Amino acid sequence: MSAGGDGWRGVAGDLARRGTEERASGGVDRPGTPSAAGAWDARSGEWLGDDPADLGVPPSAPAGPGSEAVPSAAEVLLSALSDLTDDAGPSAVSRGALPAPAADPGTAPLTDPRQGRKRAPSPRRLPGDPVKTLLHRHRDLCERAVDPLEIAAGLEAHGVTDRTAARFRHRDVFSLAEELYARVPRDGDARPEPDPPPVPRVRAGWALLILLPGALTGATVAALRLAHGHTRQLLVLTGVLAVALATRAALRHGPLSGPRAKHAAGGTRACTLWLLAYALFGDGLLDAVLSGGPDTLPTGVPYGPWPTATAPALALALACAPAAWCAHLLTAGARRRLAGSRGLEDFTSAAKPLLLGTFTLFLGALAALLPLTGTAPREAPAPLALGALLLSARLLTVHQYRHGPALALGAAAATEAAAVALPLAGRLPGCAFLTTPVRTLVDTWGPSAVPALACGTAALALLLHATRTLTRASAHAPTGAPE
Amino acid sequence: MRIGLLTEGGYPYVGGDAGLWCDRLVRGLEQHEFDLYALSRGREQETDGLVPLPPQVTRVRTAPLWTAPDDGVVYGRRPRRRFAECYGELATVLCAGADPVPGACSAELADRFGNALYGLAALARAEGGLGGALRSDTAVRALERACRAPGAPRTAREARVPDLLAVAAHLERALRPLSLDWYDDDTLGAADLCHATAGGPAALPGLLARHFADVPLLVTEYGVRLRSHYLALGPDTAAPAVRALVASFHSRLAAEVYRRAEILTPGNAHARRWQERCGAERGRIRTVHPGMDAARFSEVGESPDRSEPGTLVWVGRVEPAKDLVSLLHAFAEVRRAEPAARLRIVGSPGGHEGTAYLGHCRALAAQLFPDEADGPHTEGDNPVSFTEIGGPEAPTLPEAYAGGAVVVRSSVVEGFPVALVEAMFCGRATVSTDAGAVVEVIGGTGLVVPPRNPRALAEACVALLRDPERRARLGAAARARALELFTVEQNIAAFHGIYLEIVSHCPVRRVVLDATGEPLPFAAPAESRLPGHWPDPAARPLPRAVPSWVTGTPVRATVPAVLGEGAR
Repeated sequence: MSAGGDGWRGVAGDLARRGTEERASGGVDRPGTPSAAGAWDARSGEWLGDDPADLGVPPSAPAGPGSEAVPSAAEVLLSALSDLTDDAGPSAVSRGALPAPAADPGTAPLTDPRQGRKRAPSPRRLPGDPVKTLLHRHRDLCERAVDPLEIAAGLEAHGVTDRTAARFRHRDVFSLAEELYARVPRDGDARPEPDPPPVPRVRAGWALLILLPGALTGATVAALRLAHGHTRQLLVLTGVLAVALATRAALRHGPLSGPRAKHAAGGTRACTLWLLAYALFGDGLLDAVLSGGPDTLPTGVPYGPWPTATAPALALALACAPAAWCAHLLTAGARRRLAGSRGLEDFTSAAKPLLLGTFTLFLGALAALLPLTGTAPREAPAPLALGALLLSARLLTVHQYRHGPALALGAAAATEAAAVALPLAGRLPGCAFLTTPVRTLVDTWGPSAVPALACGTAALALLLHATRTLTRASAHAPTGAPE
Repeated sequence: MRIGLLTEGGYPYVGGDAGLWCDRLVRGLEQHEFDLYALSRGREQETDGLVPLPPQVTRVRTAPLWTAPDDGVVYGRRPRRRFAECYGELATVLCAGADPVPGACSAELADRFGNALYGLAALARAEGGLGGALRSDTAVRALERACRAPGAPRTAREARVPDLLAVAAHLERALRPLSLDWYDDDTLGAADLCHATAGGPAALPGLLARHFADVPLLVTEYGVRLRSHYLALGPDTAAPAVRALVASFHSRLAAEVYRRAEILTPGNAHARRWQERCGAERGRIRTVHPGMDAARFSEVGESPDRSEPGTLVWVGRVEPAKDLVSLLHAFAEVRRAEPAARLRIVGSPGGHEGTAYLGHCRALAAQLFPDEADGPHTEGDNPVSFTEIGGPEAPTLPEAYAGGAVVVRSSVVEGFPVALVEAMFCGRATVSTDAGAVVEVIGGTGLVVPPRNPRALAEACVALLRDPERRARLGAAARARALELFTVEQNIAAFHGIYLEIVSHCPVRRVVLDATGEPLPFAAPAESRLPGHWPDPAARPLPRAVPSWVTGTPVRATVPAVLGEGAR
């Protein structure tokens, strides 16, 4: 070092000493540290302020400012720095860094008061491998980075520039980051098991809401038994409206709520309503049609010339609750299996029993509800098949598969409509043969065989479709865009 | 010339990113026609509406990036197979690693990435329904196959099913611009030049326009999009496999943009280094510094120094990254050398963190510097004052700079130092720390010290405080430099020149067919790309199929005027 350099350092050291004394007496907090986590920690200054001699730059490198005034040091630095974009290389940068005194006031002065007088760097500040120090400081960033550019971005966010990188004898931050990326140990087994994704919680809202259609249907049916005359029609109207609204609300919330579809939902909805209406009035209508009627309108009671099947309807309305719980079980189970499986095949094989299990559970619950509501065992298959069809259609719709349900519901509705239309067409002269298949079927198994067959076939088809689609991982992907 | 300006979450929306710059650009280059193609970033942006647009903006098309409209298209067998091929190729390239270091192997990978991307875009253009397909089981399966393939990196091999789903969702979001209907002959295909105002999603439509219609692409990046992706996708946001694959996608996309863009205009050397690192050719990069309005600083900059002697000024947003603590310690040392010195900190805190930091700095200032009075009978005052713009000491921003003999910056982390440029416009001598683009901005017209070094900062300040002549010299030089480099006018002039350069080097060659399907020779004359409007307003919409000489009035280019000049 030239004498001029020492002189300059003496001035600076004097300043430093006084600063130290004042800080010691004042007891103020640490200087030079941004308090936020984003910037550097207190030790960063050690390597930033390192004397170039520490890094093996030849001592013959110009020591900077010379004996004249301090400010020219800064200008030398300035020119060195602005030259950097050319091919100045590390030596110019180290020279530029020289006005940064070896003792960073953030750490050293408080521990080493001698530094005010003697500016020789202390021996413990001689790291043989400066990159190692840096690696230690940014260990978390380096270990968790997925590629060198991520380390480069992180280092830059911590204030590392190309000038800093030059002190580690690297051309730029990128090559420094590459070295860090290459040197950081990556032991494979350190990765913790990921947390399972959040399972949708059971909320009191939908758990109660889902009971509403059953309760309202039960109340309507009970009131119908007591009422007579015009009150009855009013009751039927109010009851149907209330149940429809309750069902709509139950399907808007909780696990049965699907994505809002703007198009193609109308047809599906119409088919569903037709199927439900047929379950209520269809058997009586078919009987009446086959025996030359219908002569009156249905009265809403399960007897008379056009009986209304209130008991199966009540069972179906009550089955909304088990359906919602089954859908919830399916979602929760699928999320757990999603987290636990390593591959897509694993998930599929784990999800298949889950799907079939929940489906069986629902059928069991519906089968138990049917005798409780007073449905004759002979008529039980039709509501059972309808329930299965509606649940599978809803599950598929909830998971964004709308095409299959629309087809299956449409086919079932068309079959039922045809079963009523064919005997009516058979009344035309010369078309009596059209009545034969329906009449044979009804004579053999009763009028409820028609919806049982139509809905059963459609439900089976949908179930097969569901075992293929709902067991895919993509069907259970968390909705909502990532960001 | 018709320019397709591509923005993302930016210009025509109220309060969008870089809105001011885009507005100045569009208004400054009124001789061109601008078609705006804007991607919105959220519902609020769409409800807030658009800023008033000048007449040279002939068309505005917007599309949401935050939601994917489901068009309900389900692929048949053949489109599905095509999709599976393209997406599988994309996944394979992504699993080959993230870092696009230039080289032979990497060039092949970049080609494969580009082919897969354009294949998906062509599929979306022909069939639609890409959004659903990107979320489908086919996509997830392709990702799984690529991750399990031999040669995939370890992080990718560890991907579990939720990770695969997350990657598929990320890719679906990133590839939404592929489904837009912006690439026809009457939309982006009709432009002479696509100017993307940012990298990433904004540049993706430009890439596709270049692919489908050979429209040259200009990409301006004031902040490197890839870098902000890396910072946003921190270690705690997702599993390593997700981060690796998503980072790989973004860096491949950035490399493709840099490779295909005709000209890249980074805003500073830092952005330029990132672009070069990601494979941009040096010869096609032109740094265009952001421009600022110099007029409001001209009064302060041109008038003689009226500042109180011995006053240091810091102006900016109070944040921890600005390292005011270091500045206060530096000022303590300045006071020892110059007891009359005062420090004025002008600025409001940024966010909660900034408020806490400001309180911390106030407490530190009160501890370091006791109140001082001129005599035994006057009221004391602290040598460090904290004010905000609009206060009595600094009613306006230029006044704040004018009040200081020296402007100090002590940042540890810095992007493009706007406050430094403002100080330069005001003709102040500056002392700043070497962070971000400071060195590049200041050139030789101010002092630069290492960051986090209060003593060096103090020495530089003292030197300037003691030497008014040098201060004046540096201030004048700084103002001259800022007026040369950082004005709005230079920014617009630079883009004007770059537009002309691009159009002269790679004009769009459109083959125009007549009614019978025969190509029309000379249908798109070179004059159609001249700057300036056509004299006949009826010819303004300029269907390139009908050259103006066909319609009757002969087009006079600028040639006669030039000849006249030469003859004289």
